[in-house]
Amino acid sequence: MAERLIKPIADRDSAPYWQALADGHLKTTHCLDCGHWTWPPRPICSKCHGGNLTLDEVKGTGEVFSWIVVHRSTSPDMMQYVPYVLALVRLDDQSDIYIPGRLISDKEVHRGMRVRVVTEKITDQVGDLAWTTEGVDN
Amino acid sequence: MSNRANRFPSGQAAIVGIGCTEFSKDSGVSTFALAARAIRTAMADAGMDIGEIDGLCTFGTSDSVSPNLLAQALGIKSMNFYLDQYLGGSVSMSIVAQAALAVGTGVADCVVCYRALNGRSEQRKGGAKAPNASMPWDIQFKIASGYMVPAQEMAMNARAHMLRYGTKSEDFGRLAVLCRTNALDNERAMMRKPITLDDYMASEWIAEPFHKLDCCLESDGAVAIVVTSAERAKDLAHRPVLIQGAAWGGGVNIANNGFDDIAVSPAGPLAERLYQSAGMTAKDIDFAELYDCFTFPLLSQIEGYGFAEPGGVPDMLKDGAFNRADGQLPINTHGGLLSEAYIHGLNHVYEAVEQIRGDAAHRQVKKHDTALVTGQLGYISGYSSAVILGGA
Repeated sequence: MAERLIKPIADRDSAPYWQALADGHLKTTHCLDCGHWTWPPRPICSKCHGGNLTLDEVKGTGEVFSWIVVHRSTSPDMMQYVPYVLALVRLDDQSDIYIPGRLISDKEVHRGMRVRVVTEKITDQVGDLAWTTEGVDN
Repeated sequence: MSNRANRFPSGQAAIVGIGCTEFSKDSGVSTFALAARAIRTAMADAGMDIGEIDGLCTFGTSDSVSPNLLAQALGIKSMNFYLDQYLGGSVSMSIVAQAALAVGTGVADCVVCYRALNGRSEQRKGGAKAPNASMPWDIQFKIASGYMVPAQEMAMNARAHMLRYGTKSEDFGRLAVLCRTNALDNERAMMRKPITLDDYMASEWIAEPFHKLDCCLESDGAVAIVVTSAERAKDLAHRPVLIQGAAWGGGVNIANNGFDDIAVSPAGPLAERLYQSAGMTAKDIDFAELYDCFTFPLLSQIEGYGFAEPGGVPDMLKDGAFNRADGQLPINTHGGLLSEAYIHGLNHVYEAVEQIRGDAAHRQVKKHDTALVTGQLGYISGYSSAVILGGA
């Protein structure tokens, strides 16, 4: 389990999301009526505005849309990685969902780079995610 | 986009007084004291008595002093309007807009908008004493990944713009140099040492593609502005500065499905409503004080508010289009948040008012009747705000 000084404090909407990450899965809100995904998880479907929602696992793959290289971090948890690439990844599941996370890769980052999610347990109830190119064709 | 006729009370309210404190790294006093001093100075500038204040508006992230405490301290017996809006630079012009609504509709007679902060000596933004991750609800999903300060978010958008339009670091650098150049002869400015493009390129990386010189200052200080009716303004000391248009609102951001190209300026939709509220277009604007928490938002706003085609800013910059002395659209004539001070955008209003009055001395722009003044353009929270000010 990773030691973290800053960790999400799960609320009634986000608790199942953080629990899923702790358990090794990237899940987010999926509308049972129209099939639309929302991230971050929300209590209402952003497309059909219904409330018939479930938390489903996404494929967990996507491509880098934008990125920065963090040279000065204000997060005590991330200082050990500096400088590191923070990527904004466009999910394969739905093109208007972008999820930020540290990029773990020995390759040079570029627009369209294929990545997959990796999860990390922080506590029994809370996990975190990062992105990796390991095991992904580029 | 709604076709509803915009019924903003254009030109009904006016800015008649401005006040500020010294801008510094350590004020040595409380935000309460800073706000009180700026308000006192602004009312004196207006030639009005403090007893005439019947409305107070501010914004912030729990780092300032609330209207009710000031009302007690100033002895205001009848507050007819107040606003204590949570959030940062994105809502900076919404307090001015709402003061104009209150005055323009007769709800209040004299509303003072203020922002006071010890942004360097007390509560720094995104400092190492990081907020806990249960704060505003969507922030928790970014903080967990170490994506936690505005520099990182704006740099992410800047990169997307570079990838789509071929924008270069040097283009951001020219904006940093422009703001610094405008600060050199501004007595209020914290940064009055010249910088060159080489200095910019050599400055340390913070969140690549942002160097240190892409980032605005951290400041202690306060600004206050006095809003009253256009009718009353005719009898006061200075050229009235009418609030001709305003728009504030928001919508999608990246944590909010529906924004599918972050290279596109989010200022566009707000700009349309803003110009509609004033019955103007971008061509009517003489100069602009644009929210410059970083360099890239300047570029994005120049596009979003209709002064350049997407991707067109770099060539215009090289041609001097935004220079104070002879540009077609002078911007950030005081040095902006990048080089004057970070009073969270309200110092932009102060400068615009001085320019419109013709009181900006050696900083004075040639055409100074109509100004665009903006808040943060809609990254992060999705909110944004802007006003159009015009000399009567």
